[in-house]
Amino acid sequence: MANAAWWYIQRITGAALLILLIAHFWVEHFVSEALRRGDLTYAAIRARISNPTWQVIDIAFLLIALLHGLNGARNVILDFSRIGRAGARAATMILIVAGMVWAWWGIEAFKNLR
Amino acid sequence: MRGLIVKYGGPFSGMVAHVIQRVTGLLLLVYLFLHVRTIYALSQGPEAFDRAVGAFHNFFFKLLEIALLGAVILHALNGVRITLIDLGVGHERQRQLFWVWSIGLGGLIFLAGAIPLFISSILRH
Repeated sequence: MANAAWWYIQRITGAALLILLIAHFWVEHFVSEALRRGDLTYAAIRARISNPTWQVIDIAFLLIALLHGLNGARNVILDFSRIGRAGARAATMILIVAGMVWAWWGIEAFKNLR
Repeated sequence: MRGLIVKYGGPFSGMVAHVIQRVTGLLLLVYLFLHVRTIYALSQGPEAFDRAVGAFHNFFFKLLEIALLGAVILHALNGVRITLIDLGVGHERQRQLFWVWSIGLGGLIFLAGAIPLFISSILRH
């Protein structure tokens, strides 16, 4: 994809992350007595994470964060190193694979909830 | 280096902001890795998850948590500033925007979160 497109994607995902992060922060720190005390336990978050709507929101949040974070890391790598075209391609491939494993961990987390 | 300075339109605050954005961005990526790896333990059951989260309940990670708050605020506010400038808003005031918005407002929000965090999670444990 053209670099200009990635430039837009970085801005749009950044704006989305700002809203999602504020919501996430609120939901994980302020909605219940236990969470306000900072007691983040399975019991404290079970009801929320068992809810399919929240699971979709959380997974979307993770995918947007990975797109933004790994694209940002790619920008840093391409700006600050002289690795050539082949090196840039290799770095991009490594970041894509890392992103897939990362996303898998996040999605897998919601399986077998008890 | 010269190319970057020209691209970001200022020899001082633009460059500082640029470096801050990249360093905090990479640090947040490291945090996201730890965060998602920990959340993954949900699939291993309640005991495994509480054990995984418990690994962070110590002085060192409580301090890092406060640093995380600072990194998020800086990255978010500075990101908003960069986006506004890209859209043509406040272009001639990007330097003031950095100090007033990213550092000034960011510092206030940070203190509003960091002081209660420090009292509740460090002094009381």
